[in-house]
Amino acid sequence: MTPQYPHASMYRTTEGLGLWAHRGKVAAVGVGHSPTARRWDGNPETCVGAWSILALRKAIADAGVAPDQIDGLILDPVTTTGAYWPEGAPVPMDVVNAFKPTSDLLDGIAKLSADWILQNMPELTNIQFVMYAPRCMSHAVVVAAQAVGSGLTHTCLVLKSWHNFEGRYYQGGANAQDAIDGTSAISRLWGTPASYGTALQFAEYCRKYGKTHDMMAPFITNSRRNGLMFPEGYWAQHRPEHLTAEDYLAARWIAKPANLFDNDIPIMVSAAYLFTTPERARDMKHKPVYILNHASSRGTPRSLTPTLDEVEAETSKTGRKLYEGAGITAADLSFENTYDGFTLFHQFHIEGLGYRGMKHGDALDFYQTDISISGPNPVSPSGGNIGSGRSRFWMHTDCIQQLQGRAGARQVTGVKPEIAISGGPMPLGGNFTVWSATPG
Amino acid sequence: MILISFDIDGTLEVGDPPGVLTMAMVRRVQKEGFLIGSCSDRPISAQRAIWAQHNITIDFAVGKMMLPDVKARFIADVYYHIGDREDLDKRYALDAGFEFLWPQEAIVQPWFL
Amino acid sequence: MAKQGVVPDALTQPFWDAANAGRLVIQHCNACNRLQHPPAPTCQQCGSGDHLAWKDMSGRGTIYNYGVVYDCPVRLLQADQPFNVAVIMLDEDPGIQMYSHLPGTPVDQVPVGGRVEVIFETTANGQKVPEWRVVG
Repeated sequence: MTPQYPHASMYRTTEGLGLWAHRGKVAAVGVGHSPTARRWDGNPETCVGAWSILALRKAIADAGVAPDQIDGLILDPVTTTGAYWPEGAPVPMDVVNAFKPTSDLLDGIAKLSADWILQNMPELTNIQFVMYAPRCMSHAVVVAAQAVGSGLTHTCLVLKSWHNFEGRYYQGGANAQDAIDGTSAISRLWGTPASYGTALQFAEYCRKYGKTHDMMAPFITNSRRNGLMFPEGYWAQHRPEHLTAEDYLAARWIAKPANLFDNDIPIMVSAAYLFTTPERARDMKHKPVYILNHASSRGTPRSLTPTLDEVEAETSKTGRKLYEGAGITAADLSFENTYDGFTLFHQFHIEGLGYRGMKHGDALDFYQTDISISGPNPVSPSGGNIGSGRSRFWMHTDCIQQLQGRAGARQVTGVKPEIAISGGPMPLGGNFTVWSATPG
Repeated sequence: MILISFDIDGTLEVGDPPGVLTMAMVRRVQKEGFLIGSCSDRPISAQRAIWAQHNITIDFAVGKMMLPDVKARFIADVYYHIGDREDLDKRYALDAGFEFLWPQEAIVQPWFL
Repeated sequence: MAKQGVVPDALTQPFWDAANAGRLVIQHCNACNRLQHPPAPTCQQCGSGDHLAWKDMSGRGTIYNYGVVYDCPVRLLQADQPFNVAVIMLDEDPGIQMYSHLPGTPVDQVPVGGRVEVIFETTANGQKVPEWRVVG
């Protein structure tokens, strides 16, 4: 089966679209996660393909649906975090042959095709619809919501997986070369790490609003605290270390004002969800969580890197699109779970949402108040990537689990979990979802 | 007086990945009266927890950029930093006026034998 | 600081050729009368590639923002860290940004809002690249 790529019409990228036609007509009914690891240990049982299958099977079991009732699969075929199979390194054939391989020997090891999944999950006998949604789970979620809503698929698995290998992040490839191509050089010659763009926006923000980097500390400690209550996450599983304010403020700079703990760590992990219609969801094991809307940012910077003005304009626009299509306002949000892959842009997301009435420039002051899960204004109850490692999906899982009342120790208690927003990654260019405990 | 700063990951046996220096080696130099501590990307609170878990009382636990502070706080005849990264351990050590040792060099030093 | 060498490609050849000649040029859509940087096959605004040309700049600008890189992914620059990376806005259009290591400016002492002028530095393979230094 040849996977499709989403058509532009599947995305809600502009204002003025009115209520989403499928508002409340798509439900998340199953969640499954693989274990986590810092890096692949080379064994077949822990390769990205194996863990993808594990996550998918867990989501299916979690929903209580028979595999042959699933007719759709949406996934990201790209599983790299910035780590690539070393050029010239032999592919481990013991791993390849532990599964039914495709013609690409790295399939299931350093990438993931739908064919590989379907060949190795014979129980999925009824898949009629396959779509690729590259980059991250936020993308896969909005595509799946639209696909189920519009009837392209009825009961659909949504998968995102990450691999990670030995070696330092982004240190290979073009960055290791003595020369690079002219187009890349326009922006890459100056050696900026991945967090540089966000660091610039944050620096401008601090100058504009009179804030300081130190004010981020409560967000960091809150995020790690929440993440340590996420048993599926890396830190909880492998290194249950809190991050204190002292830890954060003593960390070395990466691209000042972004320090080590403003950056997440790449890990290996897979997550899968099962989406279906509300009618079908009635028969499944857990309380469904409904999708009221999704929206996507197509903002691009004028020049090399987004300015703060561009970020603020785009995040506000995202907020308006989300509320318009869901038929809600910011006051309806129980909590937010926007992306924190660089911590320094989480505030742009929540300011754009007008979370708890905040305006641009308010978030760092907001962080100094009670943002815990037990308070009236939970910020990132999932703990995000800072809490659990780089997956870009803790936020979505947490929204589903919170609204189902299944978030365990992480369950928000200071608010009634009714409506939440998750999404990202970047303020410019991201995909966002409005979740609800009721179909609205 | 000798001061030794240990990186953790890739250097000490308790690191991730584990290194070649054992906690027994660390105890040996501490018993000799060396000033000891860690300089790591691990959170400072986590560094302290590791040492406490192994019942080793340290003189300092700092982040990678803080070796100059260590040099300022402690008077020693020589300051060593042991680590496995050229860009982080060696560079920060030399910038701070420390002597630098790779883990494989360190384990053959007479104080550890 | 020895930047990586540059191997010009078809899209950016005029930019790099001009740099070798000590000129700063930016891509310009003559139909929209609009500058754009980084260069692209088509105009960001009208979507056409038929009216794109290269326009000479004065080489003057202002420092818009900056960060300090302490952990650089590029091998050739790692020995020089920490170093400034500033964002320069061109006088001709403050929406047009260029990066700069601001040679001659101490690390983390970048005057945001300060005036700069273009200079040309040689990279590892002899290709020149526009850089900027603080003036005044």
